[in-house]
Amino acid sequence: MDRDLLRQSLNYHGPSLLSLLRSEQLDNPHFRSLLGSAAESARGPPLQQPLQARKEKRVDNVEVQKFISKKADLLFALSWKPDAPAASEVNEDNEDSYAVMPPLEQFMEIPSMDRRELFFRDIERGDIVIGRISSIREFGFFMVLICLGSGIMRDISHLEITALCPLRDVPSHSNHGDPLSYYQTGDIIRAGIKDIDRYHEKLAVSLYNSSLPPHLSGIKLGVISSEELPLYYRRSVELNSNSLESYDNIMQSSLGFVNPGVVEFLLGKLGIDESNPPSLMRGLQSKNFSEDDFASALRKKQSASWALKCVKIGVDYFKVGRHVDAMNEYNKALEIDKQNVEALVARGALYATKGSLNKAIEDFELALENCPTHRNARKYLCQTLVERGGQLEEEEKFLNAESYYKKALDLDGTFKDAEDALQKLHKYMQKSLELREKQAEKEEKQKTKKIETSAEKLRKLLKEEKRLKKKRRKSTSSSSVSSGDESVSSSSSSSSSGHKRHKKHKRNRSESSRSSKRHSAKASSNQIDETRKDEYFPVPANTSASFLNQRQEMEKLLEKQDRVPSEKKQAKEKDRCPFSSSSVEIPDDFGGRSEDPRGFYNTDKTQASSSKTEKPYKYERHFSSRRDSSDSFSKNPEDKLKNYGYRKSEKDIEGRKEHHRKWEPGSVRYYSTSPASSDYSSKSVEKYKKYSGSRDFSRHEQRYQLSKNHREYGREDNYEEDIKTEVPEKDEVHSKEHSESGVKKNLPQNLLNIFNQIAAFEKEKGNKQKN
Amino acid sequence: MAGGSGASGRGPMEGIGLDCYGGGDAARGALGWAAPEARVHFRVTRFIMEAGVKLGMQSIPIATACTIYHKFFCEINLDAYDPYLIAMSSLYLAGKVEEQHLRTRDIINVSNRYFHPGSEPLELDSRFWVLRDSIVQCELLVLRVLRFQVSFQHPHKYLLHYLISLKNWLNRYSWQRTPISVTAWALLRDSYHGGLCLRFRAQHIAVAVLHLALQVYGVEVPAEAEAEKPWWQVFSDDLTKPTIDNIVCNLIQIYTMDTEIP
Repeated sequence: MDRDLLRQSLNYHGPSLLSLLRSEQLDNPHFRSLLGSAAESARGPPLQQPLQARKEKRVDNVEVQKFISKKADLLFALSWKPDAPAASEVNEDNEDSYAVMPPLEQFMEIPSMDRRELFFRDIERGDIVIGRISSIREFGFFMVLICLGSGIMRDISHLEITALCPLRDVPSHSNHGDPLSYYQTGDIIRAGIKDIDRYHEKLAVSLYNSSLPPHLSGIKLGVISSEELPLYYRRSVELNSNSLESYDNIMQSSLGFVNPGVVEFLLGKLGIDESNPPSLMRGLQSKNFSEDDFASALRKKQSASWALKCVKIGVDYFKVGRHVDAMNEYNKALEIDKQNVEALVARGALYATKGSLNKAIEDFELALENCPTHRNARKYLCQTLVERGGQLEEEEKFLNAESYYKKALDLDGTFKDAEDALQKLHKYMQKSLELREKQAEKEEKQKTKKIETSAEKLRKLLKEEKRLKKKRRKSTSSSSVSSGDESVSSSSSSSSSGHKRHKKHKRNRSESSRSSKRHSAKASSNQIDETRKDEYFPVPANTSASFLNQRQEMEKLLEKQDRVPSEKKQAKEKDRCPFSSSSVEIPDDFGGRSEDPRGFYNTDKTQASSSKTEKPYKYERHFSSRRDSSDSFSKNPEDKLKNYGYRKSEKDIEGRKEHHRKWEPGSVRYYSTSPASSDYSSKSVEKYKKYSGSRDFSRHEQRYQLSKNHREYGREDNYEEDIKTEVPEKDEVHSKEHSESGVKKNLPQNLLNIFNQIAAFEKEKGNKQKN
Repeated sequence: MAGGSGASGRGPMEGIGLDCYGGGDAARGALGWAAPEARVHFRVTRFIMEAGVKLGMQSIPIATACTIYHKFFCEINLDAYDPYLIAMSSLYLAGKVEEQHLRTRDIINVSNRYFHPGSEPLELDSRFWVLRDSIVQCELLVLRVLRFQVSFQHPHKYLLHYLISLKNWLNRYSWQRTPISVTAWALLRDSYHGGLCLRFRAQHIAVAVLHLALQVYGVEVPAEAEAEKPWWQVFSDDLTKPTIDNIVCNLIQIYTMDTEIP
């Protein structure tokens, strides 16, 4: 409660206000104590004086007093004050910012006596005055004030107020001579008030800036031109020449008055805060408004929920494979709410699925920045970093890869994949150093020989393969076997140092390779292998298996939240698994599928892949998705593979994972089952039929199978060869074979039976292995 | 219900908006009481001002919104349209007139929150767009009713200039001590709860609030007794003391409703 203010008001209004206040503010504890003391002082001498002086004014005041008493708690509150009491008056008031008016007293026509009195009452030390030099003496000069340069703006030009500027306050303009010689009578001087004798009405001014308060110290004192006179004074002079001008006219004709920014400017000048607007209405006390109810807060909240909705729609799109739509939704969400963590995470996940790992990492990192506790963001980021590290490893950017792994570990110290990958990388880097030395030696030796024979060798290899194929067909061995052979050959030829990995491949990819055919294939591939082994050592390593594993890990994680990224793969897996594996696995596969809303998507996908016979195997797909990593295939650190295989067999509890593994062997022989198979669930038959469409089912199937095999074969060879010039050659051969197989599509019907048998056999084996 | 009518009929605005909000019935219930219209307008303009503050509007756009609202209901019977919808459209229109553009979404959000304190922001569904459409359509109606005359001279600018002039004439310490400018500004803002702005000239209102502010704190203009012309007449030649008293009286009247209406 502002006591002084209340006292001032009480003095003005007299005891009637006091009694009103007492009754109105009875409940207000601040007033109760205050009014007691105020009452005493009001009863004293000040009470009589104002009463007598303004008796006639009391008449219409009752309403006002009632108003004051009702609002007294607001009106006299300490917070009811201008925030910035005195805005800096440095600004030499610009004509354009507001209508600078002549002084009020000029309009009110107040007698000079009172003006003079009020001037000496209100003038302060440090004010700037402007005057004309009237006389120069040896001790200084006298000036007649014409206007004020700061503080109060008064009309003093006719008051004949003189001020002395003593010699010591006049700065000298040259090294020698009298400083006063610089000045002439009639000069307009701007000076600071140094001393005031209010009683004798005497003023002393100074031309040194030290006489001014700090906020005015930039103002130049001394002689000024008439153009530098303050605007209000010039207006006042104009008014004197035409005293009929009204305040309103001058104001309205002023440029500053129509300035759109005038209100804002003057509010600042008067210290009124528009962001916290004052009101005497009880319901409009802005301190009672909750920040949450303000438009910006509400909009933010609304946008966040809108963005979240978009993310949900995007996720739904993602689930049905409409990745472009999903991306659009995510981007829309981020447009609505730039910092939306969920949208960032979802988009990152989509990027990761699409292989844009760097973009994914960016999104995840941004999400983590905005919400450091977001668990999924952290998890995905770790996964993606490791995957990206794997990529870099392939590209032989080991140091970069290492930093990615380390980053992942920094984020999550318990993240095992990163740790493993890092260890592996370190091991590998060490090894590759050694190997490189060896290789250098061998290369020296073989250099000349290789150049001569490389073309020959290839031709030989091709012949061998052709021969093998023919043999295979003759012996009516299943294509799965033959493809198995091929995978053996590929794996064995690509294996860097040997049999561990070789075994692994056998187990993983071609169980059936234990058939008699294996040996010859192996022999041939080994032959090639020997000659080539060293050539491929430096190529960075990754295996399809390890990659798949990573992908799957990722998948699993992603699926937990939005169940999206794995779809494509799962779809692939699913349309293969039923064929390659026998009935035992089928149920849980289908169980998984039927509860999976993406079921119909899978069939879509399958259709697509079957109609396009060149659609690669999953296995290949991964390779192609991993930016031309074909060359890396031939080079594999066996420990990595082993590691993954080992871990897989250990950890694979989840059904999906299980058939992921099963799928792997099946990838090359998924025709071992046929619709004729009795184990086969009718559902799958239906599905299969669906995508086979109206075409001759079995025929198509076989052709498809063959072409697929060739294709894969070709691909793998390509990986093996890694000699670009040879690729076309190969392709030629394969296309020939392709057409050949097209002609020979009428394979004996009993072939299917054989397929089934083999499938059963494999399944048994698989079970054993599992056990 | 409101959504349906808004979606189907783009033309008539009756009943749209209000029914979605709780405030409508209460406002209409007030019709039966004494001085009913003024009370309704007091409520609705208070809504305009509160929403204006929450929308970050400055004083002049808020004043314009209130003036549009009052002027509309000078022409149109209160029963004809939902006052709150008119208020929302007035806010929107005032933002355009005073170059402080508002977004309908913010207006709807703030209003919804005002009518349903603590509620979540509306979803941006079809119902929301219907609300938005009703505001935009109603804006056209308001424009037509006001014959497209929606630019007003507000007392704010005058008041500020008067304050500057007075500040220079008053002793600087007594000016600093007394919150005259804040009080005058508050009084002026509050005056829009009633139709003062339509009945009096801007200059007169400005002088009246300044007069009241000075009186409240017992501040006297120096040498007023000796002056040829009282300060308030300087600011506006055609102003008389009874006019000031009239405006002050009206203003105080508005404040009496503050305590009566929750």
